[in-house]
Amino acid sequence: MLAFSIRRIIGAIPTLFVLIAISFFVMRLAPGGPFSANRKLTEAIIANLNKAYHLDEPVWMQFGRYLWGLLHFDFGPSMKYRDFSVTELIVHGFPVSLEVGFWAMILATVVGIALGIAGALRRNGATDFSAGAIAMIGIAIPTFVIGPLLQIFFGLKLGWLPVAGWDGSLNAKILPIVVLALPNIAYISRLTRGSMIETLRTNYVRTARAKGIGARRVIWKQALTGAMLPVVAYLGPATAITVTGSVIVEQIFGIPGIGRYFVEGAANRDYPLVMGVTILYGGIVILANIVTDVARGIIDPKVSYE
Amino acid sequence: MGTLFARGLGAVLLSAVILATATVATPASAEMVINRGFGSSPDTLDPHLNFGAREGWIQDDMYEGLVASDAKAEIGPGAAEKWEVSDDGLTWTFHLRDGLKWSNGDPLVAQDFVNGVIRQLDPKTASPRAYYYYSTVKVAGAAEFNEAEGGDPKSVGISAPDEKTVVIKLLAPQPNMLYLMGSYHIPPLHTPSFEKVGGDFIKPENIVNNGPYMMKENVPQSHVTLVKNPNYWDAANVKADKVVYHVTEDDQTELKRFKAGELHVTNEVPSDQLEQLKKEYGEQLRITTYVEAQYLSFNITKAPFDDIRVRKALAYAIDRDVLQNKILKAGYQPNCGYSPPNDPRYPQPHVEECDMPKEERIAKAKALLQEAGFGPDKPLKVTIDSTTDNTAKRQAEGVALMWKQIGVDAKVNAQEFQAWMDTFYNGGWEVLNDNLVADMPGPESHVVYMQPSAESGYNWKNDDYEAAMEKASQQSDIAERYKYLAEAEKILLDYYLTVPLNVTTSRHLVSPKLKGWEDNMLDVHPSKYMWIEG
Repeated sequence: MLAFSIRRIIGAIPTLFVLIAISFFVMRLAPGGPFSANRKLTEAIIANLNKAYHLDEPVWMQFGRYLWGLLHFDFGPSMKYRDFSVTELIVHGFPVSLEVGFWAMILATVVGIALGIAGALRRNGATDFSAGAIAMIGIAIPTFVIGPLLQIFFGLKLGWLPVAGWDGSLNAKILPIVVLALPNIAYISRLTRGSMIETLRTNYVRTARAKGIGARRVIWKQALTGAMLPVVAYLGPATAITVTGSVIVEQIFGIPGIGRYFVEGAANRDYPLVMGVTILYGGIVILANIVTDVARGIIDPKVSYE
Repeated sequence: MGTLFARGLGAVLLSAVILATATVATPASAEMVINRGFGSSPDTLDPHLNFGAREGWIQDDMYEGLVASDAKAEIGPGAAEKWEVSDDGLTWTFHLRDGLKWSNGDPLVAQDFVNGVIRQLDPKTASPRAYYYYSTVKVAGAAEFNEAEGGDPKSVGISAPDEKTVVIKLLAPQPNMLYLMGSYHIPPLHTPSFEKVGGDFIKPENIVNNGPYMMKENVPQSHVTLVKNPNYWDAANVKADKVVYHVTEDDQTELKRFKAGELHVTNEVPSDQLEQLKKEYGEQLRITTYVEAQYLSFNITKAPFDDIRVRKALAYAIDRDVLQNKILKAGYQPNCGYSPPNDPRYPQPHVEECDMPKEERIAKAKALLQEAGFGPDKPLKVTIDSTTDNTAKRQAEGVALMWKQIGVDAKVNAQEFQAWMDTFYNGGWEVLNDNLVADMPGPESHVVYMQPSAESGYNWKNDDYEAAMEKASQQSDIAERYKYLAEAEKILLDYYLTVPLNVTTSRHLVSPKLKGWEDNMLDVHPSKYMWIEG
């Protein structure tokens, strides 16, 4: 398993390189540059800025310079937020996104699986329908609607939680975590339910039941393990997306994470910032996929590491 | 047992009393904190790089220029207690106060102000604001120093003959000089920190500054916290202990945070809810005319917009009142001139269609179009390039609607900001949904902007305009200066290079607890003059 993981990590290096190269060149195809923000800039000033950020060099030379920097863990300066380097922005923002995303995924996994099992065991009963209804709401109502609604209810009407802001207190974290977890709860519960129903019909579960193993044990030991396979496959990429932050949730709740940098960095043509978050995101997706594969190997005896 | 219980109860009661007194006592000794909404995260707080007006608020709190704005944005003494100007208006001499200090206790001297200007102009700094010292205010030698590396700082017309005097030499008189020197426009440089850590001197752990407040925290996308600077010369009159600028990207969330009491003042107010908020908040909603004008610009290098009849016809078709009050409803004021009319001393020229009745305007517009060769069988096709900003887009769509009424096939192309800028510079545009924010009250920033030397993107060159501007720039008397500026603006309006639309507003919600806030057209609000009550 260790050898497998190491092989996969080494195999990820060319993938990352291709990702870096494609993002670097494609980004520069977009019209406008980082400093076309103020029309009042004279040519001399634009020349000064381009020179300071080496934008006056040929693109391949800029690419070489960028790769060289990356080897030294230097993501370059942010062109929009000139007081910070991209590394500093990520060091400030990523732990916040990671924290919110991590707890949102824990919440989503626990609640989602519980709802899914409840639905599968009491199929077409009241529990199943209400779990289904919650799931549909979670999928159908976008976060930019549910977020402000929760702000109005818990922040303004009840006054229990702050509307927005990030002061490090637990209270400030509750709403964003819940909002981020909701769509995931929905998907996970639906996946669990479907896969659980299917697993309960399989031969090995029937055999286990026929051998006289108690219903509870069959469900928790035998069926659930099997039913978790599609859920685990979903959890990998979903976790990668969630821990790198959501631009909508971060803007609505004023969370200083990195989710907004994808959108803002691109809109401002802040090339180093977009590169930085793309590489981080790419790295996390690759890592999540490796973890998922390892986890599947543990759950599913049919998967081999060879 | 009984006594033990009683004693226990007594102890509990006693500690409860202590606790209660402690809680009651806290507010009196608690620090006074002002919570200000800031909009999106600051681009930079480096005083010599910053270009943004919002970042300017933080800068006004952290740095004090030679002169400074008060709560009403009126310019008065700052680090300099007095100044004089030579008779020809070309030499300004500022005298610093006694005993000025940096926040770390170092003495603040005249050379620090000189070094600040030199750093802004140094090409290596790559400051987008360097232009400042050679456009509206023309400091001798500034342009040359900025345009090529390795220039001699002594060639720039700013010097410190002694520790308490700053002398600025101009190429042309500028009666509005104090506005241009005011507030965050001329921050000093703490040379030892700059030499030690370079541009990182702006980080909270390195910062040494000279304003009423010092930076304690700068968390990107979250907040900037300022605390009182004990070494500031007027520290005794600075009331709030702490000012927190909260990043509030989403204006709906900002509004909710204000409602919940988490903010004392907002950066913005959702423009589509103004009428409802006016009912709900009354006096707390502050809408103030701002120094920004919005207008349409024509690409005169592209047919048929090289034909003045086409430009005029399109201008005539616009009903400014309907556009502002029925379509946009953002509280903006219709404007008939190019510059924002905010100085009563300025005789602002107006476009002629402003005084015409609607029927006459429309009839003339149609006639002009026909003369230019357009009609029902050959409609004029126009695309307005706008940014994706909601208000801007709505305005462009309103104009397109009015143009359709005179038979023009008009459409709006909304692009994100950087792409919109690119369209402008590449010259592929026809009509631009355009705007400009002034650096000071009065018409000058705007009228100067249209000089080809200041902005090449419009491809407009007009000798009469240049001549009027040249004359204006030689006047140190404001009335004389305004006479020539008005002459230039009239030439611009008669040419129909632009079609004036409106003057925008700044919009804030201000809590009744926040005292000392004054609405003003520059939207400048130094925290020094504010405090919290209740």
